[in-house]
Amino acid sequence: MPQLNCIDPHEQVIKVKFDPGETILQATYRAGVVGILAECGGGCSCATCHVILDHTWDGTLVGPSTQEADMLSFAVDPTPHSRLACQVELSDKHDGLSLTVAKRQY
Amino acid sequence: MRLGIIGAGQSSCTLIAELVRGQFEGEILVFNGELNRPYQRPPLSKSWLKATADANTLSLLPEPIENHGSIQWVKEWVTSIHPDNGELRTEKASYQVDHIVLATGTRAKQLTIEGLPIEIEHVVRTLDDAERLKKHIDHAENVTIIGGSFLAFELAASLDHPDRSIRIVARGNRFLPQVSVKTADRLLGSTTASTQVDVQIDSYDAKSKSLTTNHGPVPADLVIIAAGAVPNTEIAMRCGLGTEDGIATDLFMQTPHPKVSAIGEVSLHHQPHLGRSERVESISEANDSATTCAKRLLGRPEPFGAIPWFWSDQGQLKLQIAGLCARSDDETCLISNDFDCVVIRHCGDRVTAVEAINGAREFMAARRLFENGAISLSALVEAGSVFDLLQSSRS
Ligand SMILES: Cc1cc2nc3c(=O)[nH]c(=O)nc-3n(C[C@H](O)[C@H](O)[C@H](O)COP(=O)(O)OP(=O)(O)OC[C@H]3O[C@@H](n4cnc5c(N)ncnc54)[C@H](O)[C@@H]3O)c2cc1C
Ligand code: FES
Repeated sequence: MPQLNCIDPHEQVIKVKFDPGETILQATYRAGVVGILAECGGGCSCATCHVILDHTWDGTLVGPSTQEADMLSFAVDPTPHSRLACQVELSDKHDGLSLTVAKRQY
Repeated sequence: MRLGIIGAGQSSCTLIAELVRGQFEGEILVFNGELNRPYQRPPLSKSWLKATADANTLSLLPEPIENHGSIQWVKEWVTSIHPDNGELRTEKASYQVDHIVLATGTRAKQLTIEGLPIEIEHVVRTLDDAERLKKHIDHAENVTIIGGSFLAFELAASLDHPDRSIRIVARGNRFLPQVSVKTADRLLGSTTASTQVDVQIDSYDAKSKSLTTNHGPVPADLVIIAAGAVPNTEIAMRCGLGTEDGIATDLFMQTPHPKVSAIGEVSLHHQPHLGRSERVESISEANDSATTCAKRLLGRPEPFGAIPWFWSDQGQLKLQIAGLCARSDDETCLISNDFDCVVIRHCGDRVTAVEAINGAREFMAARRLFENGAISLSALVEAGSVFDLLQSSRS
């Protein structure tokens, strides 16, 4: 099973297995990665599932929609590589992708 | 402390997660009347209904929390509570607890329609309901949805298919009375379903496969009843707590009985943002009331002070509402173009809610402004957008 490398707000590195077709949120939430609140459960309406992706994976990702980008602009200290975990769908090519969970969700 | 939580939906799971994260010292018994593991409801009428995804994608609790040593899952309905002696009863057994949290939510309102075969009648409240609908929908050519709320329109958008006619019929004189006329018009304009208000349904005629109504026959080989929800208050009422309208609590989610709390959409408490008591059916209410209750149980009480918010996916349109208003509040349209629409609800100059269609920035800006205090309509109109008002308040 492919996996993600997640760095949580306590700087612990956690390996999270995922099924292609799932979102980053579904995989990390199930695994109990701390720091992801996901209040709206993936509805792109709370911006509390903020993660920062390793920029070397940029080429493998479809960029954020306007809706996601607007929500992200209200996250705490967004970066150019910030995403909402609920809006990023994973495929086989994301095996090994690294991400950091935002230090604070609000 | 031994805590008994009744229900395993949104509010219950938020409470459990907050207690585990807050290192609650005690045992937690969770009574789940449904056989499924805790799952999220909002996707049931949205993306999930269209997709091939299984129930695992709806999971509501992280595995380490669900399997935490302090939690015992009891897959049984609670049939009665006896708070004076800290007792909870199910069909099979009796349990002793120190405190009871009622997180029983609501159930779909039933309608009795003479002649309507049970096989073609549906509601969408639970995962089992949604799975049953998924199984039957492929054979349906004429779907009639009864109800005028967000749920009816979400379902119509999710079930849209070239081989299927979808009709939404409502008894009231307008659709989506929860939102402004302008917002409702935009949502109505985007639906491919045919719609009719002021509909009285007499019966179902099996021969012509149609509902007999005051507007003539309405073809239906599948009927979804989305006519609202009824709070599950019976077990509370039997011991003198709550009414058919909900279970009253204070701002700490405590009922008049010291050993009983109520959270989520079954709870009826003062909504500081609205200035009066109201039972609110939304994820934000479930989460915020649960967090408030958790703080009290962890010995760090803080009164409920959250600003309500809501969202609904209507096909390609995303509606997001910051705040909460009375149905009679005034409406002023702030932004309206081909893509997005922002309507302000207000009482005089005091803004009570901001309804945004495809306007996430406006929605989030409104939430931030409400958190800082009241929003003035005249200041908002002068600024031109909620976002600009937020920017100017920051500089
Ligand atoms: C299809 C659908 C779509 C929705 N979409 C949105 C949306 O887009 N945005 C939004 O903000 N909100 C939405 N909601 C509303 C939101 O899901 C609810 O407000 C929220 O789930 C309420 O949480 P709760 O914990 O109060 O109740 P629930 O989540 O309903 O949980 C209550 C649980 O208690 C159990 N229970 C009841 N009585 C007993 C008993 N005696 N013994 C044991 N167990 C019992 C029930 O089986 C149930 O599992 C939607 C709801 C539905 C049904
Ligand atoms: S979970 Fe709410 S925006 Fe991602």
